[in-house]
Amino acid sequence: MKKGKTFLRGTGIICGVVFSVVFAWSIGARGLVQSSASPDKPRADIITIDALKSFGDLERPPVIFLHEKHSDAVEKQNKDCSACHLKEESRQSIKFKRLKDTAKKTTMDLYHAECIDCHNQTAAVGQKSGPVTCGQCHRQDGQVASSWEPIGMNNSLHFRHSKALDKKCERCHHEFNESTKELFYAKGKEGTCRYCHRQVSEENRISMRLASHQACVDCHLKQLALDKDAGPVKCGSCHEPAQQKLIKALKDVPRMERNQPDAVFVSKVKESQPVAEPPAEGSISLVPFNHKAHEGYNDTCRVCHHAEMNACAQCHTMEGAKDGRHIKLAQAMHQLGSNQSCIGCHERNQKKPECAGCHNSISRTRVFEETESCRMCHVPARQTVAGAETVLDPENKMLAAMLLEERKPTYTPYPDEEIPEKVIIKAISDQYGPAELPHQKIVKTLVANIQNNKIAGYFHRDAGTLCQGCHHASPETRKPPKCSSCHGKPFDANNPLRPGLMAAYHQQCMECHSAMGLSKPKATDCTGCHKRK
Amino acid sequence: MSISRRRFLGWLGAAGLGTTLGTTARAATAKHFTGHPGAGGVLFDSTRCIGCRKCEAACNLVNELPLPDQPFDDLKILDKTRRTDAKTYTVVNRYDSNSSGSGPLYRKIQCNHCLEPACASACFVRAFRKTETGAVTYDASVCVGCRYCMIACPFEIPTYEYDKALTPRVQKCTLCYPRISKGMLPGCVESCPTEALTYGNRSELLRVARQRISRFPQRYVDHVYGENEMGGTSWLYLSAVPFREIGLREDLGVTPAPQLTKGALSAVPIVVGLWPVLLTGIYAISKRKDRISDAEKQQAVELAVTQAKTEAEEKLAAALDQAKQQKEKEIEMRIKKALEEAAKAQAEEAAEPETGEAGEPEAGETGEPEAGETGEPEAGESDKPEDEEGS
Repeated sequence: MKKGKTFLRGTGIICGVVFSVVFAWSIGARGLVQSSASPDKPRADIITIDALKSFGDLERPPVIFLHEKHSDAVEKQNKDCSACHLKEESRQSIKFKRLKDTAKKTTMDLYHAECIDCHNQTAAVGQKSGPVTCGQCHRQDGQVASSWEPIGMNNSLHFRHSKALDKKCERCHHEFNESTKELFYAKGKEGTCRYCHRQVSEENRISMRLASHQACVDCHLKQLALDKDAGPVKCGSCHEPAQQKLIKALKDVPRMERNQPDAVFVSKVKESQPVAEPPAEGSISLVPFNHKAHEGYNDTCRVCHHAEMNACAQCHTMEGAKDGRHIKLAQAMHQLGSNQSCIGCHERNQKKPECAGCHNSISRTRVFEETESCRMCHVPARQTVAGAETVLDPENKMLAAMLLEERKPTYTPYPDEEIPEKVIIKAISDQYGPAELPHQKIVKTLVANIQNNKIAGYFHRDAGTLCQGCHHASPETRKPPKCSSCHGKPFDANNPLRPGLMAAYHQQCMECHSAMGLSKPKATDCTGCHKRK
Repeated sequence: MSISRRRFLGWLGAAGLGTTLGTTARAATAKHFTGHPGAGGVLFDSTRCIGCRKCEAACNLVNELPLPDQPFDDLKILDKTRRTDAKTYTVVNRYDSNSSGSGPLYRKIQCNHCLEPACASACFVRAFRKTETGAVTYDASVCVGCRYCMIACPFEIPTYEYDKALTPRVQKCTLCYPRISKGMLPGCVESCPTEALTYGNRSELLRVARQRISRFPQRYVDHVYGENEMGGTSWLYLSAVPFREIGLREDLGVTPAPQLTKGALSAVPIVVGLWPVLLTGIYAISKRKDRISDAEKQQAVELAVTQAKTEAEEKLAAALDQAKQQKEKEIEMRIKKALEEAAKAQAEEAAEPETGEAGEPEAGETGEPEAGETGEPEAGESDKPEDEEGS
């Protein structure tokens, strides 16, 4: 009897412990879910307050500050930006209630006093307010999803600004005088802000982040104060992807006015080679470049002029120099996969669906295998211009423009009657009946794609060039050999890379269709192409 | 005929001993085997696979497997992830969530025909064999159905005919060993419409794979899966996305399976050989210990007994001695007394002459029997050694 009682008591205690543990855990878990799941959608106004970082390691997690929440609250109280930001020489500082970070203690106290004070006051008048205790702001788990996207000045925005400022470039553009430590404006030397203002602040130059917020937001605010049409002042208006799309973009942006050339020869810069040697017989070192046309292909100058608004060869010399990180001119112009090189950019064009059908299956190494293609860009340094044998002067922009004039999209397809209308593929029909290839329809689609495209129209030189997308291993000819001339039985030990006839057909059709984004017929729908036997 | 449990276990033990001694030396070799020269393999290029299941159908046909419930042209089956089973040597799975950005990808699953197969190294009856064609074949006639191969395989390929009560077999892709021995292509390879499967010499396939990567560096991940995985496999894979995204394990490492078990397995013959000796030794030692302790105990008892005996004898002798002395003393005293009485009687006789001669014979009769009774010792009982037992 006594034994039974002890047992019951023990069970009771164990049950109690288990219940309390489960209860505590469930509360903890719920708390965790509440704190980690952000109720808001991704935001573009997240500022991480870690100003004390410059004084050493942080003692507590940095504070996640949502700027627009605060600017809205301040606006509600009929206050303006000066509620938090001080003025520095008529310009509004982007720092909170101070102009400089003097000492760790001062900065820390400033934040604590001002934030908590304002939160208290707001709460006192019965308005929705912010936290006042340490852990509510300094949270380890306070991460908010960010939708922040960088923004830059593209050609359209630049034109709108220069128009609004009556082409007073000096309102934004400046240079730094090392000796007088002053900013000054140099006409004709305007460049991208990012050339000087980098990721982080350095001696005598503030970071891009500081510079853009100081200059852009301050100017927009002043315009707003004058009741004028002004640019955005809120975080999201510039940095929220959805709102970025709302920024008015001009369709035809007038050219930038900075005395840039219409046409140039891409070549070595004269100063780097003081003794002007006449180009050797047969040299094809010169490339006439249509600068004017290329301005329109990109939406900012810094796509190509990535470090300086200068000729490429200034830094990328023929032999490579320190300024150009020892990247030679030839490499800078030919590098595959680069955003700034000619071929890198042209190659990116080939990824468009209308081009990718053929270009996807052309080996990347082939670009440099076909030396004939060099002449598509390069011109002989000695040639007959206007009936006279001349040695081209790399500085002669007129000549470059003249040579470019001759470069027109020349593609003309074979006449329709020479293009077979249908091709019946029956060589290996086994399970299924022959496949009927709408040959002419395919050719016409490809021709149409090319004719709307300037670069494609130029580079597909001959009528047969386009045919090589499928008739890939034969020279440009009116009557290319049949597929079965090369492709036969699969797994030929002598030509291990060459697929058999069936796979050759299937691979080419399917790869092209998928690269061009054609969903019909599906690759697995046999009867989409073949008749059922 | 019936066999006793004892006899069966005896046979089993003998068989176990025989196999470990016979094959571990081969399986547990430390030398890395890079494949038989000229051995075949298959290169699977996932960028070419369209998920048509023609390979599955061909596999079913050439291996004379039972037809599945859902026909092979029903592609809805790709909605779920499948694995091989005893009636399906190969399956194609679809991988929708991948980083290629160009829609779903497909991967064919079958035996990878490892260069140093884990299944073969785990099999103690040598039912699996890496043939010179590259195929890993299975011999059902020797299989005992232990299914160690199924546990050993890192790719979870061998499957078991659980539905067969009498003759269950382990089933897996054979690389169409009967076909490739005759110079034909494996069924799946032959039927692939896009040459996503390429059959050939494994070393040649590696070269082909490398060339495809170098010609289209943006299309492929720069790695040939199976070149070194688990010490190398006869099936090789190319992919546009990291291999884990098309269901291939990236955690296998490059060590062949037999090497992983080499240490443990090479200890088996030693253990099997040494155990009888070891156990007999342990038995002999414990026996000897018992014997020695028994002997010591006996010796101690004997010693104690003799000690007690001598002590008792000594005490007895001392007591006898004392008794003797006492007796002599008493005799002396009695003699003295008698003499005195005699002298007294003589003196009285002298005074009365007729009584003096009567005193002498009386003294001799009373003195002697009394002394004999009191001198008897009892030391034998009281001094018996009691503590000898415990020691």
